[in-house]
Amino acid sequence: MGKLTNFKRSIWVFHASGGSCNACDIEIVAVLTPRYDVERFGIKLVGSPRHADVLLVTGAIPRDFADKLRRVYEQMPDPKAVVVVGSCGTTGGVFYDSYNIAGPIDEIIPVDVYVPGCPPRPEAIIDGVVKAWLKIEKLEKELEKKGGAGE
Amino acid sequence: MSWLESLTLTSPSGFWNPLLWLAFLVIFAVIGYIIYSRGNRSYKPNTEQVKPFISGNAVEDVEQIRVRAGDIYWGFMEALKGYYAVLMRMHTGDVRDYILWYLGIGAIILFILLGGV
Repeated sequence: MGKLTNFKRSIWVFHASGGSCNACDIEIVAVLTPRYDVERFGIKLVGSPRHADVLLVTGAIPRDFADKLRRVYEQMPDPKAVVVVGSCGTTGGVFYDSYNIAGPIDEIIPVDVYVPGCPPRPEAIIDGVVKAWLKIEKLEKELEKKGGAGE
Repeated sequence: MSWLESLTLTSPSGFWNPLLWLAFLVIFAVIGYIIYSRGNRSYKPNTEQVKPFISGNAVEDVEQIRVRAGDIYWGFMEALKGYYAVLMRMHTGDVRDYILWYLGIGAIILFILLGGV
């Protein structure tokens, strides 16, 4: 519903951690703490991909987790975007080509934004989510053109 | 009295008119359809989108995850397994067997009572 776009002042993010060492995860938490406080920009972490616009993935993704990540991605409503946080998810990092690793993440699900770093700074994570936000706005417009996205 | 009035049933607490009811039904159906047609068409039925979120795990068959009423007694059944195994063998579901038990136990009680005299 195009006329209601002014109300879309928030973006909800689901964080999936797949075999991460937790360094990226605590930086994501740092983004939520009072120093950065992204909720004031309408960026909010949610507990279910069913409610999320953006999927934030960390970790090199072990084989056991690959199908779960795929399922989480498929459970998100359209339009959606995927942000990979950290070197492990982006390239495999130090686990590259390991026998038990299914990643990098773009070999499992389509990725829209990469935030490299080990771990990346909170500013970089925020920048990544904002880029995903722009992508979602673009996708929404495309859906509207097709006569799809009502809401 | 007009034909519309003839269809109207009045009572101290209000009135009832089937044509009016029908008119409202049509109006609300149209409103409902307008809301429905503005809905999100990117919704994909029969995909993972419609399944419950269980942390990315596959949703098992409902028969396997459902807690049945009988499951409440699981602890008793497990603790008294030996006792219940005998009892369950005795429960054949055949009413003639139960009558036989009734007569047999009745005979024993009678024997004890008469024997005691």
